[in-house]
Amino acid sequence: MSIVFACAASHAPGITAWTEAAPKEQADKIIGSYHKLQAMLDATKPDALLAISVEHWANFFLNQMPTFCIGRADHYDGPVEEWLRISKSRIPGDGQLSAELLDGCLEAGFDLSFSDELLFDHATMLPIHFLTPRMDIPVVPLILNTLTPPMPSPKRCYALGRVLGETLEKHSKRIAIVATGGLSHWPGEAKHGKINIPFDKRFLDILTTGDRSQLAGYTHEEINVEAGSGGHEIRTWITLAGALPDWKATLLAYEPVAPWATGCGLVTFSRS
Amino acid sequence: MSLYQLQKLIYHVNRDEAQRERYRQNPAEFIKGYDLTEQEAAAALNVDVRTLYTLGVHSLLLRPFTLLHKVSNEDYAKALAGLE
Repeated sequence: MSIVFACAASHAPGITAWTEAAPKEQADKIIGSYHKLQAMLDATKPDALLAISVEHWANFFLNQMPTFCIGRADHYDGPVEEWLRISKSRIPGDGQLSAELLDGCLEAGFDLSFSDELLFDHATMLPIHFLTPRMDIPVVPLILNTLTPPMPSPKRCYALGRVLGETLEKHSKRIAIVATGGLSHWPGEAKHGKINIPFDKRFLDILTTGDRSQLAGYTHEEINVEAGSGGHEIRTWITLAGALPDWKATLLAYEPVAPWATGCGLVTFSRS
Repeated sequence: MSLYQLQKLIYHVNRDEAQRERYRQNPAEFIKGYDLTEQEAAAALNVDVRTLYTLGVHSLLLRPFTLLHKVSNEDYAKALAGLE
């Protein structure tokens, strides 16, 4: 069929782990927007969900850190974190779709790593907990190294997105996509709690109203300084933007949630 | 390579349920499996947030490790106060 749904959303663990620490209005806005996304996704009846996600030391260490890794398993377990307040589940995968995406990427010059065994941490688990609460839609995880340098450049992520989009638009299945991460945050650092609202707003503005190809122009240094170590996760959003060059992006919510130490954004995409 | 070993210890405890269980049963014994300096071993055993941070443990290893030890957001922030 093709791509039937796409969204991008922050995955701050505080959303579930310490929900009540946030001002109620902000928590309601973020969680309510997640529920809206779930209803939209449900309405499109997807066969599978591509989760463009990030590494958080759940699967890889410094002995082996893939830049891009696609999961090819028939199921995944998560969350890794005991404290996330999301029940442990076994989430179905779609190994066949993963293999086809992998082939498509290799053919187009993107040499992804692959893994038949991945654990999900909050980066993937939190969005799918909200988007597919019954955990019944097969997930294909694509894990980006946004954790430790060197990381893929935004330009490369955008180009990978283009290949993913072209491959999925030709696919016989109905595919949903979620990009997860960001926006600005400095998790676990001495600067933990800092949020760069102007950076986040500019990023969202380009995504929703500007020339989206500009997102490929962000540099590692700019993201590192302005959006923090956690801000590198916007590469997942940039990958998604590359996949959907002609789709309209609509902001559902942006809240700089201090107790969650993250500029939290949720955006939905629709065909224009 | 010592920081590498220290981070690997934390990585194993954070992500792997079986290893976490072994760690919880006897942290001192578990830590012996890693090639650590005395300072690193003591910091890991005492969950000394500030020392682990200044030794260079990645923040996304350190914060989940301290959450397993029920270190609150407030106490974590206090431990890092004044650092850049």
